[in-house]
Amino acid sequence: MRVLVVDDEPALADQIRRVLLSEGRVVDVVHDGVEAAYLGAVESYDAIVLDIGLPGRDGLSVLKEWRTQGIATPVLILTARDGWSQRVDGLDAGADDYLTKPFHMPELSARIRAMLRRRAGQASPVFEKDGVAFDSRTNRTMVDGLPVELTAQETAVLGYLFHHAGRLVSRTELSEHIYPHDSDPDSNTIAVFVTRLRKKLGAGLIQTVRGAGYMIGEP
Amino acid sequence: MRSLRHRTLINAVAAAALSVAVVSIALFAYIDAVTLKRFDRVLEDRHTQLVVVLSDDAQDPAALEKGLIDPAYQRPYSGRYWQVKAPDGTVYTSPSLFGATLVAPMPPTDRLGRWTGPSPNGGQLRGMQQRITLGNGSVWTVTVAETLTSLLAERYETRKSLLIAFGIVAAFGLLSAWLQVAVVLRPLGRLREEVATRWDRGARLDPNDYPSEVAPLVSDIDVLLARNRETVARARRQASDLAHALKTPAAIVRNELVTLQEHGRDVGPALEALGRLDAQLRRSLARMSAIHSAEGVGGPIHVAPTLDRLSRLFGAMCARQGKTLEVANAPDLQVWMDRQDLEEVLGNLLDNALKWGRTTIRLSAISEPGGAVLCVEDDGAGIPEAERARVLESGARLDVSVAGTGLGLAIVSDLVSAYGGRLELSTSVRLGGLIAAVHLPHHAGLLAG
Repeated sequence: MRVLVVDDEPALADQIRRVLLSEGRVVDVVHDGVEAAYLGAVESYDAIVLDIGLPGRDGLSVLKEWRTQGIATPVLILTARDGWSQRVDGLDAGADDYLTKPFHMPELSARIRAMLRRRAGQASPVFEKDGVAFDSRTNRTMVDGLPVELTAQETAVLGYLFHHAGRLVSRTELSEHIYPHDSDPDSNTIAVFVTRLRKKLGAGLIQTVRGAGYMIGEP
Repeated sequence: MRSLRHRTLINAVAAAALSVAVVSIALFAYIDAVTLKRFDRVLEDRHTQLVVVLSDDAQDPAALEKGLIDPAYQRPYSGRYWQVKAPDGTVYTSPSLFGATLVAPMPPTDRLGRWTGPSPNGGQLRGMQQRITLGNGSVWTVTVAETLTSLLAERYETRKSLLIAFGIVAAFGLLSAWLQVAVVLRPLGRLREEVATRWDRGARLDPNDYPSEVAPLVSDIDVLLARNRETVARARRQASDLAHALKTPAAIVRNELVTLQEHGRDVGPALEALGRLDAQLRRSLARMSAIHSAEGVGGPIHVAPTLDRLSRLFGAMCARQGKTLEVANAPDLQVWMDRQDLEEVLGNLLDNALKWGRTTIRLSAISEPGGAVLCVEDDGAGIPEAERARVLESGARLDVSVAGTGLGLAIVSDLVSAYGGRLELSTSVRLGGLIAAVHLPHHAGLLAG
């Protein structure tokens, strides 16, 4: 899961980055609106954390621009201005959620998880399919009620496929959302992760469409 | 200071009274003189007539009666008299004198003498007397007189009709003064209305719309209004910037503290102090904003768009929590408040309701005399009656140990009272939980008073 964090305060942006990294997410950080608008438009993110009071360009206008460009990535707005008017303005600009500074980090994590889940059409934080249960809160996986040890990359691949269940996900897409955008992974490593996952979780969960990609569930 | 209308009307009344008095005195003196002159001329004619008759009948003065045929000379005390004194001292009189004689206050001379004196039967009379020397050399004293009754009656009638005319003129004068005042003062009345209505719309006053006497004042008011609006806007920006400046560092400190806590360090007191700082900051900023808003940024706004906006936001939030938001909007309802502040008030109340409500929260707006009442209710546990007053207590010490409670309601209460409204908490008849009713006036107390 790849998250863009936009905040002009480096210390706060770094704190957010550390928390998200610890949850196995890929995190890009930018500090101004102009760069944020560009990255958000050209890169494919699963979620964006966007501060409103940004130098260069204000967050709301960046968000509006993304939405007019048809970019539907879930956006969590972060702001020091805690009025309800601003919250409605944020919602009207296309935000999915709103968090007021100062906030509790676990609250931020929970909001991002909830946004991702809602986008996946999933009400419960636990994804279940063919006896495999994936808890998006803890990144723990169980098979038939028994915990299974997965590496961080395996968890990331499984989490991404669960969040896009019913849709064919290409290897390129998977690697984009699992590795930072400055690294250059071999797409064959994705195939290796999937093979290991099928071994650990059973062959039935993840279907392979030869030459196209992977999918959990039915289209 | 006395009103301009008052001053002008008092002035007009005084001027009218003075001019009526002066003109009356002058005119009455003139009329008195004119009427007396005419009266005298008639009396002179009578005197001449008596002299002519006497010169014919001088041998037989007793025959004078026959020569003077005016019936008024015959009727006793008719008020019209003659008297002739023969050279030998015999006095002949008209029968109307009824035996009395006319006594002039001065000795007879060759010139016609006039006097005013008492009449034989009471009242005043006017007399004329002259020493006449006839052709035969005999010297006679010829006197005529007439009471002033008719003269006085004539004067009285003239004065009466003149006074009525003056009264009508004065009344017209006053009426026109009153109309003039109304016309002159109309731009001032309009100015007062426009100051209030244009302030609402954020429009400027144009001095060219007003008479040149008032234009400088209008231009000054316009500058004042604009400056006031700017000050308020600047204060709000500053408050908002301050919030931004303080909150981001607070967030960083909190996150570092939480990280330390996760590593087993005891940072409880520090976190608690930070929480208190946050709460105090939020409330102070809200109050600052409320005071500035009420001082001029507000205006009559329709509540419907605000209710729509908030129901979009809270509708989504309710849906996520599996709760229902009912909205009863009122398309034409207006209140006097800044839109941001109204959204802050209703947002806090809805947030509270969402927190405590079990399945349903309801947002409604209805009209009431002089204003509107906006209600947020839920089906939660409500607030015990004994605690309601404490929750609303303005400036009450915040209990930050109870997360989130009270602060929102206190902010709402501060904001609402800054606009001359009030917040009432009671039990919802419809849903059973808390109902928070915000009563807001249509007009600001500031300018409408």
